Amino acid sequence: MTFNGKCNFGKNYNSRSRKANLKRGVGVVTALSLMALSSVAQAGGKLTVAQVRDPGSWDPIDTFTLAWGSVASNLFDGLVYRGPDLKLVPGLATSWEFLDNESRIRFKLREGVQFHNGEPFNAEAVKFTFERLLGDEGAKGPQRSNYTSIEQIKIVDDYTVDFIMKRPDPVLITKLAGYGAMIVPPKYTAKMGEEFNLKPVGTGPFKFTSYTPSVKITFEKFEDHWRGAPKLDELVYRFIPEASTRMAELQSGGVDVIYKVPLGSLSVFDTHDNIELAPVASPTIDSLRLKTTEGALTSDIRVRKALNMAIDRNAIIESLLGGQGKPISSLQGAGSFGYDASLETYEYDPKKAKALLAEAGVKPGTKMTIDYRSADSDFREVALAITSYLRMVGLEVKINPVENSVMSKDVIPNGKTHEMYQFGWGGWTFDFDNTAYLLYHSGERYNPYIKSAKMDALLEKQRLTYDRELREEALQEVARMAHEQALDIPLYNLNTVYGISSRVKNFEPAPDDRLFFLNTSVE
Amino acid sequence: MSLSEENIILPEAAKKKRSLAKYWSFELLFGAFLTCSLGVLVLCSGLLFPDGGEAIDLRARLMEPFVSWQHILGTDSLGRDILARVITGGKISYLVGVASTLGALVLGTLVGLVAGYYRGFWDVLLMRFADIQLALPFILLAITVMAIAGPGLDRVIGLMIISQWVQYARLVRSGVLSLREREFVQAARSYGLPDAKIIFGHILPNTLGPIIILMTLNVANNILLESSLTFLGLGVDPQIPSWGGMLADGRNYVQVAWWIMVFPGLAIMLTVLGLNLMGDWLRDHLDPLGQTAK
Amino acid sequence: MPIAKFAIQRLLQAVFVVFVVTIFVAFAIRLTGDPAIMLVQESSNVTEADLERIRAAMGLNKPFLVQYKDFILGFFNGDMGTSFFRGPVSNLVAVALPATLALAVASMVVSMLISIPLGIRAALHKGGLSDQIIRIGSLVGLSFPNFWLGLMLMMVFSIKIPIFNSSGYEGPASIVLPAVTIGIILTATNVRLVRTAMLETLGAQYIMVARSKGLRERIVVYKHALRNSAITIVTYMGLQFGNLVGGLVVVEMVFNWPGMGSLALDAIYQRDYPVLQASITLLALMIVAVNFTVDLVYGLLDPRIRVE
Repeated sequence: MTFNGKCNFGKNYNSRSRKANLKRGVGVVTALSLMALSSVAQAGGKLTVAQVRDPGSWDPIDTFTLAWGSVASNLFDGLVYRGPDLKLVPGLATSWEFLDNESRIRFKLREGVQFHNGEPFNAEAVKFTFERLLGDEGAKGPQRSNYTSIEQIKIVDDYTVDFIMKRPDPVLITKLAGYGAMIVPPKYTAKMGEEFNLKPVGTGPFKFTSYTPSVKITFEKFEDHWRGAPKLDELVYRFIPEASTRMAELQSGGVDVIYKVPLGSLSVFDTHDNIELAPVASPTIDSLRLKTTEGALTSDIRVRKALNMAIDRNAIIESLLGGQGKPISSLQGAGSFGYDASLETYEYDPKKAKALLAEAGVKPGTKMTIDYRSADSDFREVALAITSYLRMVGLEVKINPVENSVMSKDVIPNGKTHEMYQFGWGGWTFDFDNTAYLLYHSGERYNPYIKSAKMDALLEKQRLTYDRELREEALQEVARMAHEQALDIPLYNLNTVYGISSRVKNFEPAPDDRLFFLNTSVE
Repeated sequence: MSLSEENIILPEAAKKKRSLAKYWSFELLFGAFLTCSLGVLVLCSGLLFPDGGEAIDLRARLMEPFVSWQHILGTDSLGRDILARVITGGKISYLVGVASTLGALVLGTLVGLVAGYYRGFWDVLLMRFADIQLALPFILLAITVMAIAGPGLDRVIGLMIISQWVQYARLVRSGVLSLREREFVQAARSYGLPDAKIIFGHILPNTLGPIIILMTLNVANNILLESSLTFLGLGVDPQIPSWGGMLADGRNYVQVAWWIMVFPGLAIMLTVLGLNLMGDWLRDHLDPLGQTAK
Repeated sequence: MPIAKFAIQRLLQAVFVVFVVTIFVAFAIRLTGDPAIMLVQESSNVTEADLERIRAAMGLNKPFLVQYKDFILGFFNGDMGTSFFRGPVSNLVAVALPATLALAVASMVVSMLISIPLGIRAALHKGGLSDQIIRIGSLVGLSFPNFWLGLMLMMVFSIKIPIFNSSGYEGPASIVLPAVTIGIILTATNVRLVRTAMLETLGAQYIMVARSKGLRERIVVYKHALRNSAITIVTYMGLQFGNLVGGLVVVEMVFNWPGMGSLALDAIYQRDYPVLQASITLLALMIVAVNFTVDLVYGLLDPRIRVE
């Protein structure tokens, strides 16, 4: 169960792996076959995708998993669309403009769009969607809190709405492209109540047909989709939590696309001509955060820097992670807004690390502990490798498994961690604000240790403006401060690797873990 | 199946009684050989592999077995020696198997004796406890408990004791029930012997056979349970090598490096097989009534 | 004690057992974490007030006993409640329960297909070489860690030699591997059971009579002896079934089988109280029902047990 939202940053295809290069062609192939297909325009057929988990509820206001985005992006549309290239382009809205000193955003809506059940899409649907999200119904779910900057929705005419803002929200337009902001049909949704969860209706290219909990969800093509009908006749998602089982299914032809090929097993597919691997930078980063409070060994900046220098990130990525990742210097990947390319990862330098530890008075043989989430066996491997690097600089480090929800609910918020604790994070919005605020602003749930008035001020300031330059500067400043103080041990930003059967044409995995099958076809 | 060829079953069986003893012994010998030889290896693991196979060497990772003398059974994804880890990892399995069985034995025997001998209120109460135990699916209980407490050796052993004392309690209780009314116990009672003396002097020795069998089988079973729990990440500390932990580590590599999963799996299988063979033999010899039929 | 009174007494005890199990589970799961946190852990904008609202919607701000009462009354009125994350629990159970029962039945069938012929052969050759081989062979089956055996079978029979589906719930072929995995493990017990039962019947007088009448051995064995052993075999297998249903978790996980075990496991990981409570209650009811039936049958057969 990975934690959190992943988002991704650009397509940093990692050119280190052989396979990666092969797959890198996918984008190009896509474009070519797109042309080919549009002339032939038949294809059809059924595509089966293996997802890791069953989100369990299909209502946009109830969702909290990336798995939801991977499935439901084919079912719903937002006012804004963000595809695999991560550019924000018009979706159900054709344009938007900021009015009244940025306190009002006016959206022009696309005309002639229909929901799967025949209801028309119009201003009423937008108003209904957001009032539901911000009202009692939304209050029961996790999505509402992402959209509370909206004060109210005003209908100007049938195809124009105004969002009246309570306060500036620089990430709002991005957030309108996914999850809670997906537009739902007013009459149907009101009629179905809770049952909408299980029989969702949207405007997307695929129309819901059936759902068997924990097993699969099936879709058929929606002929009247506003961007044109999809090529596939049928789209099926199966839920397969075990990575080795997903691989077996792909190899035996049970599924066509699998999500998250285990990085240790990529070489299995070297011998499969009919399976391609498509790596795409994921939104999440992995790190060890540090206990910086008085009394902890890691309260000494020299110790924190030494830890950062003692770990050979590249070697870990090359060996354990199939080369599918990049070392990071702050808790974000290269695709994140707020990323600063000039900020360099601490160089692997065990000698210097040893010297720093000696200087800080840490004797060889000193014991430390890394807390990690017990269900995350992939990270455990990395944590073990880290302990061996730390042993080389004289530290005896133990790893300590903590159950997932105990970690989120108790250990981190209440500051009960050991010196180092696992933290994997990222948001599908690709905006460092999400990560930085939660991890560095004092008093936040996931920030038990760090109290910095300067960081607080920077983080608050950037939240209240649409000025991208100012925001970027502030976020980069926060990242730089964290780096200089060595508040964390940023490790790497991994690729998500998709396994794709060669019968699938025209599929490009998006870096934000969402999948879009509008143009995809199968042979 | 050509049954008609051998249609003289009963006389044949009777005749074979003697040769039978020989085969049973083979079962026992083979079982004892497996258990003891693996047991000795595991006990000596500290001498054989002083570092316990924990040395991580990313340059020597995923080496195939039977290629290098240094790593006869190959290495895992972190470059650790599989042979050393399999043998060292056995310590945890044996420890969990034996400790939890002894714990369950003590608790279950006490409960069973009290319930069977005094009957009445205590019997009903204790046996309902037993029923509750039997109605709780163990793995789910274990996961819930581990979620609260976090993984750890002591907790695994505790959980197994909790899940298994019932079997001893039931066995002892039914032994006591059937013996209680027998003449020698009645006689002892009529002589005014104290309860404790009757229980420990007369009743307990008579239920010993089935208990020994159950213990053998439970050690085997607990080794399997421990590996399942650790495989799920809910067993012992993952930094201690254990068979279940090795299997969990090898899961994602099963197609790239079969040896990471195959050797610890075989180690579990052979250990458990040895115990099961002995248990089976014991059952034939100590438990003619089939009280421990599983 | 008359059988009716005995039955009522056992029934009351069974009710007590279910009560204790459900209240224990309801209590224990509430010690383990906050489902509201699970729901929002990805979101950085959540305030304590949001969490409070979500908890209220989940019904978590009521006193524990009220929550428990609501659950139990609902459950026995046919309303299993609503999952925190996945809609009505009854929808989930409607998939999981048949899946688990199907797997349990299929495993028993596999096990019987192996153990009945083997058990008979072992009984007929009691003490002979084939008896030994069968017994030791079936013990080998019992000695595998089930998830390991499952993964190995999957590697061989769905990847190296692609005959069966490796996972999922996609038609009859997908049940083969998990059922064989569990079937092999049950076989050791069942071979012994069949062997013992057959030895008993084969020694009985009517078998002697049948033999002396010159009936063909095959008929004696399969028609008379096996049929008469069937009651014992079925009774024991019934007991096995109860335990099996709760014990499939790890194999279900390996084969991605959407049964009750997987459902409960997911619920524990997600802190989905309603789903966990409903699934454990169902499993407990099934096991208790089997135990109750067995108690009752024994009580009927052996009046001494009824004496208190």
